[in-house]
Amino acid sequence: MVHAGSMYVIQKAERTVVEMELENGAIGLGDCWGTPEVYAMAQSFAKGWIGKDALDRFALRSATLGKSNYDNKYGRNGRAAYAGLDLAAWDAVARSLKMSLAELIGGRTRESVDVVSTLPAAILPKAGSRKDLTDHLDLRANTRLVVEFALEQVRKFGFRSFKLKSAAYSPEWDVKLLNELKEALPLARLRFDPNANYGPAAATALCRRLDHLGLEFFEDPTGEMEGLARLKAAVKTPVATNMWVVKDEQLAPAIRRQAVDVVLGDLFMWGGIDALRRMAKVAHAFGLKPALHSVYETGIATVANLHLASALPEVEYPNDASLHFMSADVLAEPQTVVDGKMTLPKGDGLGVTLDRGRLDKLAVESAQLR
Amino acid sequence: MAAPASIEHTHVHSIRLASGAEALAARVRIAGGTQGFGFTLNDDAGLARDMAAWDALARSKGVPLAVLLGGFHGKQVKLEWDENNPALPPDWSALRKGILDNKFDLLRIDPFAWGSLEQVTTIAAAAAAFDLGIALLAPNAHAWEIQYCATLAATFRGEDTRIIVRSQSSFSSIPVSTQPGIGIDWTLEPAFQKIQWQS
Repeated sequence: MVHAGSMYVIQKAERTVVEMELENGAIGLGDCWGTPEVYAMAQSFAKGWIGKDALDRFALRSATLGKSNYDNKYGRNGRAAYAGLDLAAWDAVARSLKMSLAELIGGRTRESVDVVSTLPAAILPKAGSRKDLTDHLDLRANTRLVVEFALEQVRKFGFRSFKLKSAAYSPEWDVKLLNELKEALPLARLRFDPNANYGPAAATALCRRLDHLGLEFFEDPTGEMEGLARLKAAVKTPVATNMWVVKDEQLAPAIRRQAVDVVLGDLFMWGGIDALRRMAKVAHAFGLKPALHSVYETGIATVANLHLASALPEVEYPNDASLHFMSADVLAEPQTVVDGKMTLPKGDGLGVTLDRGRLDKLAVESAQLR
Repeated sequence: MAAPASIEHTHVHSIRLASGAEALAARVRIAGGTQGFGFTLNDDAGLARDMAAWDALARSKGVPLAVLLGGFHGKQVKLEWDENNPALPPDWSALRKGILDNKFDLLRIDPFAWGSLEQVTTIAAAAAAFDLGIALLAPNAHAWEIQYCATLAATFRGEDTRIIVRSQSSFSSIPVSTQPGIGIDWTLEPAFQKIQWQS
């Protein structure tokens, strides 16, 4: 099956898996983007971490990414690579302290977390060209394939929350599909995510047409903070972003501009647990709702997001999740969706173990640093 | 975020400090038997218990509190004499409005007035997001207050972070404890040593 999203057709996911061993023998796991750039940065950063104190995370961040964002010459990729190491350090420290990661972050307040199933903008019979996609989208009856896919997710996993991606090719397609989804799944929570591919005017017009559906939120219906702010003022449905508020210094302007209602924090865009935790607290204090974004992580980061949701009472929305779409994972313990929820593993740290055989089968490249 | 620990027993005691002032001292015992201690020179026993629970948790893990709050940002904190500027009242609405109206460069916070560690760390996160400094007021300049402020301030981002006191001090900065717990030297007050804690 081929899933068409807003910006891509997804056939594989590349990740960098980090395994970090502390002096006391505790091993932590991390996971971050797997592009060659991020993989190279993660390796380079890791060299600088050897011999450093894993408890001293501010110093590690400062030494890796600089004291301020101005100093961060690595940009978003650098924050993602850092987040992979950061997660492994938190996991290793939590294991050393004999606490679950959620407890170390702030408290294990729940054992399971509602998760969201992404719905592709379209489902094509096979991979094809952009023209194949637009031809497919021109045939409005094809919306039915996405609705059937959603119903299948309910049957297989019990999902009650869905995120519909949009190719932003046709507002008519999106309106028809969302109406059909609402009809087929009247009790489900639906969010709509065109990844800012509609211009502000088109997005506002489209969202006004969708406003009566009572969606959970519009996620990045258009681009840039100003466009989002104008759109937000024009609709009742909450507006969310995981694209325009993705680092510390964007949060205050978003609050001041009243640009969004929901900040979908992504562990890798924000650059680690501490930044995400601060974002959740500040967003909540100023009346915004923090939520957790994800896109095709391994089980490691998927489980990390469960711990974050459990530890951060400010997070009320279901977590994004996409592990159920992956044909393979690197963990020994399968992480499954049951009744629309995922359960926090028991045990210290993340509570999961790496399956080296599975990792070896999937590995493209590996490096060991001492 | 109360301390993520299972509390088995708490006890709050009133003591007379060497200065003659009254303080509340709290002891919390968490699952596993570790004890932690907290205090306040105001009448908020909840704050003393909150502090004690964090102390117990950090002691039980053998780490300074900073580790549970994300790590040390610094291990020495500036100490300033600030006789006149009032601390912001413990009112989130006023704080939010003041921040959004650009009323502050520095958030002067009395951590003993806000009721819990969680409140103070959230204010510190807001200060970081809005690029504001944060100053923690030790309202009575008692050594315990200064030590607790230092423990919290060590986890805050920003060069403007400081502790403020209302009387002159011979120190311009103080070191942050790296001992397990919240970093308070309880031996400084003889009355604390004499407390008969209930089991």
